[in-house]
Amino acid sequence: MLKDLGTPARGLVRAAGLPREIRRRRTVLVLVVLASLTLIVLDARRSAGSPVDPLRHAAATVFGPLESGATSARQPVDNLRDRFAELDRLKAENEKLQAENEKLTTELLTTDYTRNRAAELDRLLKVAPAYTVTPARVIGIGGAQSFQHTVTIDAGTADGVRPDMTVLNGDGLVGRVVRATDATATVLLIGDRNSTVGGRLNSTLALGFLSGRGEIGGTLDYKLVDLRARPKVGDRIVTWGSRGNAPYVPGVPIGTVTSVTPNQGTLGSTATVKPFVDPTRIDTVGVVTGPPARPPRGTVTPEQGR
Amino acid sequence: MIALRIALAALFLMVAVTVQTSLLPHIAVAGVTCDLVMIVVVGLALARGPEWGAITGFAGGLMLDVVPPSDHTAGRWALALAISGYVAGLIRRETSAGPVGPVGVAGTVVLGAALSLLLYSATGSLLHDPAVDWSQFGVRLGIAAGYDVVGAIVVIPIVLWLMRRVLPARERRRALP
Repeated sequence: MLKDLGTPARGLVRAAGLPREIRRRRTVLVLVVLASLTLIVLDARRSAGSPVDPLRHAAATVFGPLESGATSARQPVDNLRDRFAELDRLKAENEKLQAENEKLTTELLTTDYTRNRAAELDRLLKVAPAYTVTPARVIGIGGAQSFQHTVTIDAGTADGVRPDMTVLNGDGLVGRVVRATDATATVLLIGDRNSTVGGRLNSTLALGFLSGRGEIGGTLDYKLVDLRARPKVGDRIVTWGSRGNAPYVPGVPIGTVTSVTPNQGTLGSTATVKPFVDPTRIDTVGVVTGPPARPPRGTVTPEQGR
Repeated sequence: MIALRIALAALFLMVAVTVQTSLLPHIAVAGVTCDLVMIVVVGLALARGPEWGAITGFAGGLMLDVVPPSDHTAGRWALALAISGYVAGLIRRETSAGPVGPVGVAGTVVLGAALSLLLYSATGSLLHDPAVDWSQFGVRLGIAAGYDVVGAIVVIPIVLWLMRRVLPARERRRALP
């Protein structure tokens, strides 16, 4: 069977090929399609624990280090992107500048990159006193043509990362962990259409739900629980947290309201929310692995009250 | 020779999956990345025919399905890329006995991109995946197809050249004038 695969070029001169070869390549096609459909059916029932999970685990074990390694080669890619963006300006300037201090420029870019990462870690540290945060780097990003808004980070169960943990960076909420292996974890960004986050308006403390729109910029829709409440443009939204701090811890900034439209045909209104975190520029993130280092409030029992 | 070819194809696919998930998103156009795996599958199909297209498409798609950060039902990319690879292999056989020209390669890559994205989105719709957004489909397909042609200009000659290097002598005589 496998040996046959090596010689499809035999039919190369005859355009149609021999009937035997046509039969064989159709068999291969049918087998492959059936295998794919079997996989889809097996994996579609997510709730019962998918039989594909060991495969995902193995893939993450093999490709996690590879992605991590490839990310270290990211800096030239970043430079390439920046160069594309500023092509016009650079064209005139680059020729004379680059020749005379190419070495200096490279050094400077490295410092910039390192300084940016240090600044991100710094801002993460300012959030850290409130929660126990494990820092991680983004090593893989899902493409927009697959309609996925997920990223891989280089921290896993070995670092205490578990599914349903909050992921944030210095700007605000990034998403939550959906799957974790030893060394990597998959994060569902809040801009994904599968994502819903409970959010509280800073100004009125009204509760609502934010759902992703699946757009590149990570724009969110915000629906309030109280149908009569109207959010205002410029209002800020923070998470209101879930039971047991999973999947979202309370008090993480999410975004600002940019526009409000009344719902068609029903009560209430939907607000468009621009997230504080730019999903295309996330690099260093933190996973909330523990409860707040200091509880935000003491408990009041009837005995104490008396 | 056959083991060498399979190893080479596997190496191609693994490198493509790694680069596509970790490096290419940083030079994405409007969020859309280059489908490097699809390009490699099309290249292998053009080099070896429909069986190879279907099987490498399945293998590459399966890797895309399970390698993080994927979070969709496994098998969707596998199905999409297997059929794209098979069709790409057919094109090579139907057109001529000689090598496919640059225009033919670009056309095959665009067809492969359209077919794979359509199948991937269609299976998503069938499974009621809320992430699939048909209103965005056309735009993203257009960008992806254009980007893929750019990627193919670099990748496919490398794939074709290396696969020709490991061709057995008797086949090389027949395939090349």
